Amino acid sequence: MSIRRYLTLILLSVITLITFAAAIQGYRSSMAKATSVFDNQLRSLTFVLVDITDLGTQSIQPQTSAAFVFQIWQQDKLIVNSHPALDTAITEFKSEFSEHNFLAQRWRTYGHFFESSKKWVLVAQPLNSRFELSEQMILAAVTPLVFCIPLLTIIIFLLVSSGLRPLRLLSENLRNKKVDDFSPILLQNQRNELSPVLDTLNQLFERLNAAFSREKRFASDAAHELRTPLSVLKINAHNLAIELNDPSNTNMQYLQLGIERMSHVVEQILLLNRTNPEQYQGQFEYFDPASLCQTVITSLFPQIEAKKQEIELLGKVAKINGDEFSLGILLQNLISNASKYSPEGSLIRVTLKSLNKRVIIQIEDTGPGIDESEYQRVFERFYRIGGDRHNTNVSGCGLGLAISQHIAELHKATIKLSRSKQLSGLSVELLLPQSDPNE
Amino acid sequence: MRILLVEDDLPLATALHQSLRTEGFTANHVADAKSALLAIDTNECDMLILDLGLPDMDGLVLLKQIRQKNLKLPVLILTARDSIEDKIKGLDKGADDYLSKPFDVNELIARLRVIERRLGTATTSTITIGEVNLDCASHELTVAGKFVELSRKEFMLLKVLLEQAGRIQSREQLESKLYEWGEEVASNAVEVHIHHLRKKLPDAFIKTIRGVGYSIKASANLEH
Repeated sequence: MSIRRYLTLILLSVITLITFAAAIQGYRSSMAKATSVFDNQLRSLTFVLVDITDLGTQSIQPQTSAAFVFQIWQQDKLIVNSHPALDTAITEFKSEFSEHNFLAQRWRTYGHFFESSKKWVLVAQPLNSRFELSEQMILAAVTPLVFCIPLLTIIIFLLVSSGLRPLRLLSENLRNKKVDDFSPILLQNQRNELSPVLDTLNQLFERLNAAFSREKRFASDAAHELRTPLSVLKINAHNLAIELNDPSNTNMQYLQLGIERMSHVVEQILLLNRTNPEQYQGQFEYFDPASLCQTVITSLFPQIEAKKQEIELLGKVAKINGDEFSLGILLQNLISNASKYSPEGSLIRVTLKSLNKRVIIQIEDTGPGIDESEYQRVFERFYRIGGDRHNTNVSGCGLGLAISQHIAELHKATIKLSRSKQLSGLSVELLLPQSDPNE
Repeated sequence: MRILLVEDDLPLATALHQSLRTEGFTANHVADAKSALLAIDTNECDMLILDLGLPDMDGLVLLKQIRQKNLKLPVLILTARDSIEDKIKGLDKGADDYLSKPFDVNELIARLRVIERRLGTATTSTITIGEVNLDCASHELTVAGKFVELSRKEFMLLKVLLEQAGRIQSREQLESKLYEWGEEVASNAVEVHIHHLRKKLPDAFIKTIRGVGYSIKASANLEH
């Protein structure tokens, strides 16, 4: 239930309850007031009646429809009777108010003894009339209030809404915030009650921001810490190899191979962390994928050349919008895989083409390819086809395609594996959505 | 060539120092930016190998200060940072080259040789790969001991390819080198010169990488 609805309902119920409590109290007090007014009236009536009868009983015309009845008794004799049906005393001969039932009604009665004329004047008035009057009075007071309730509802609703506006603004502000936006929230016309919430929230954002940047910095810190000692190992191995001056020394070869693999794994783990779509903030801009392919092929050329493989780049496409750094890593992984998992003398073909508003970068080779049942699994972290039986001459750690998948997600692109129709080896297609640079 | 090695990691500096000595370079080592500035002021050095993560000053700030003092001192940056922005920043601040750790010593030496040749401080300016021998000073090419005549542009293209042997030079890169030399460049100029060069060189000496560029295999030794 929303605070607005809750407040409106509770305020309205409380107001209604209090109004009716007040009405009941009002009814009671107007009843009391009516009683005293009518009682006074009754008493005055006795005096009026005795004065009139002193002048002569004939002048009194009994009326059955009167709002009250009376009897005048003198020495136990009924001398005046307002109602013919009444022949006994309507009340005790006492000077006090009481209530009696006769003529199928309840009456308020009063008697008064006049010493001078030795007369008892007894008067009675139906109680109904008092209730009717009180009811009319209270109804007159309560009716406007009842009609006011719908109006009151609207006013309360509007007031509550306006009172809750800052809260609504805050929640809207929070909802519109991007996942990686840790900037503090600033509200205009800030209410005192919201300040602690806002302050706490902003402090939380600040702490999250710090934690995230620490997390991000961790990658580069770890990079520095691992890369420098790896460099030392590499240089020492190089110097040692020169000192040994024995190219056939297998220990030396394994040492250098081990260092190569270790550097590779470290680089790949760092890349996997760094290109995580939740963390990585790519710099998207338009660039020519052909020139990126050229750069990547150039950097991989020594490795390709060493395996006596041929590589070619075919086709041209329009510029694409993407993060050049991470796409470079992706292409590097794909082309490097093609070279690593194809035998010596293979051909690697990189083709650029446009199809259905998509740019396709296809990497094919003449190698053995991979079995269709493995297409899904090769994207898993640390998964390598054949597991431990994997050809150990190939340096790798099973992270390349997981990284590539991260980068593809970052670009809303997909990686499709199939068997190359022309080269019979593996075909890896990167399908990139093409966006209009003028948009 | 005297090299000043600015690197705070002592094991790395020691190992690298040894490699440089083995390759015939004279190297001095300092571990912080202050000592580096002092060494540049007092000792003569021809080139700087600079680590960016120094204890007392960011390497890029040091580079800026060096550039304000001495415009010509070549600087090769050596660092564990490897993002594109870091590279661009380094080269913008006036670095001549950039190597990410962990690097290959041979790669470092090759790049130092390129800078050395550019400075003209190399003890000999001859590049030899297999039967091909190019004297960068006299612009003379010998193939299997026989003297071969080269045009200016052919010499320039061959020099770039030999210097970067084992790496691909794209058509655009070679074109921009021709521009540097103040040549008028026709759209197919690079192809034409490569075609002429091929006739003067052993078969398959210059390799074409379709769609990418040209390369010379770095199988033979580089001699200086």
